[in-house]
Amino acid sequence: MSGDGEWTSGDLLTQALSGDRAAFAALVRAHQRTVFSLALRMLADRHAAEDLAQEVFLQLYRNLSALSSAAHLAFWLRKVTMHRAIDRLRRTPRYRSAAPEEAEAAASESPESDPMLERRLRALVRELPPAARAVVLLRYQEDLDPAEIARTLRMPLNTVKSHLKRSLAQLRERMSETAEALT
Amino acid sequence: MKVLSPRWRWLLGLAALLAAPVALGVPPARLTLPEFDALAAQATESVNISLDPALLGLAAGFLDSSDPDDAATKELIGGLKGIYVRSYTFDRDFAYPSAEVDQVRRQLTAPGWQRLVHVDSSKDRTHVDIYAAVDGGVAHGLAIIASEPREFTVVNIVGPINLFKLHRLEGKFGIPKLDLPQGSAAGKDDKPGK
Amino acid sequence: MSEDVEKEQLERRLRSALAAVGPGERLVPGVMARIAAEPALGKRPPRAGAVAGWLAFGLAASVILAVLMAHEWQVRRLEQGREARRQLIEALRVTDEKLNLAYRVVNGGERAAPAGNSGV
Repeated sequence: MSGDGEWTSGDLLTQALSGDRAAFAALVRAHQRTVFSLALRMLADRHAAEDLAQEVFLQLYRNLSALSSAAHLAFWLRKVTMHRAIDRLRRTPRYRSAAPEEAEAAASESPESDPMLERRLRALVRELPPAARAVVLLRYQEDLDPAEIARTLRMPLNTVKSHLKRSLAQLRERMSETAEALT
Repeated sequence: MKVLSPRWRWLLGLAALLAAPVALGVPPARLTLPEFDALAAQATESVNISLDPALLGLAAGFLDSSDPDDAATKELIGGLKGIYVRSYTFDRDFAYPSAEVDQVRRQLTAPGWQRLVHVDSSKDRTHVDIYAAVDGGVAHGLAIIASEPREFTVVNIVGPINLFKLHRLEGKFGIPKLDLPQGSAAGKDDKPGK
Repeated sequence: MSEDVEKEQLERRLRSALAAVGPGERLVPGVMARIAAEPALGKRPPRAGAVAGWLAFGLAASVILAVLMAHEWQVRRLEQGREARRQLIEALRVTDEKLNLAYRVVNGGERAAPAGNSGV
């Protein structure tokens, strides 16, 4: 338990392993935003993202005993979510659905945020090829460093860095085109 | 009386062409699509859909008849025997080799296939051919070959497809409406690397 | 603006734009419904000393296995059906997109062959 009496992920993991389903439900609640957001931004389809998130947590339940710590759990969830999403994208056609923006509407409410700009950025990220998209999401949604991204995606570190560099350059160029079009 | 928009008039014209009789035997409406390995290897994105009668039936079972859009889709695909799509996107112009593309085009020279539309845009470097497999005045197959600088697509629909009903579904299921002004190249610009 | 500053600004915007979003209320109940059919963690099967006890256990295990397999089949069928539906919608979308492409080119005033040609 943490200092303020809240159950930590580590505690919930221990409780869930002993058969406490309420603890497992709490684990799902604690990590659902990460899993769902990664799935949504990879698949660009809300229903598909919910399906995939459910599958990830079902797989978590079946593999709980293989996890040793809260950090391992977080790593495992990101890894499985991204691999499943990339697999699904390989098997399933690309989506250019408009639906994800409904889910994204309330995501950022900071006073400095520019909703239209952010909407455009998210659309541009959705257009990146799957591997590059995965790298960008893990970097900027999950704040992982390139080495952690490489481990999560089982990708060489140089490939991760290359994806990041090219994607940022592409996003910057496309955003300038947008800015020019609007002036 | 409601005046038809240009888009609807165009579809009406296309559908009317499907009524032209052809004297020869029942054509095979199903194309033999190669694996396009060479294309897939060079593509940045690939779409490979093969919905045979069993999968179409399965998909139809997951369409909700009480939802108007799902019901319209169910009606559209009723009677279809298959939908096959191969689409490849590249990060440079005309990166796709022509040998496999030509293999598909050769099948469309067989008796019973009638080319309805051939469009050639030198400005956009885009070519689109639309064929119908016609027998006794009824179209029981459709083939579309679209060649754009960075995208190549083949669509083969086996069975009677109603183009008006397909067009009515535009804008549904989160699919953006392609309500474009004349001569616009919008839609092709939203691809990475362009 | 220098390249570094531009890059920092873009990264800041990316972090803001890509902040995680919640899935709504359905996910947790959906997950818990799916694991309801899973064997409970941390529990052991009951010990049976007598033959009759083992037989009863064996029968119960067979029934549970059959139920689990049926459930597994159902879940797989559900996944396959959803997948087929998604592929169908994408196929129809691509078809409509290419028809629209032809329409755009035709109405852009570009060269179009007369209708009714057969073959090439």
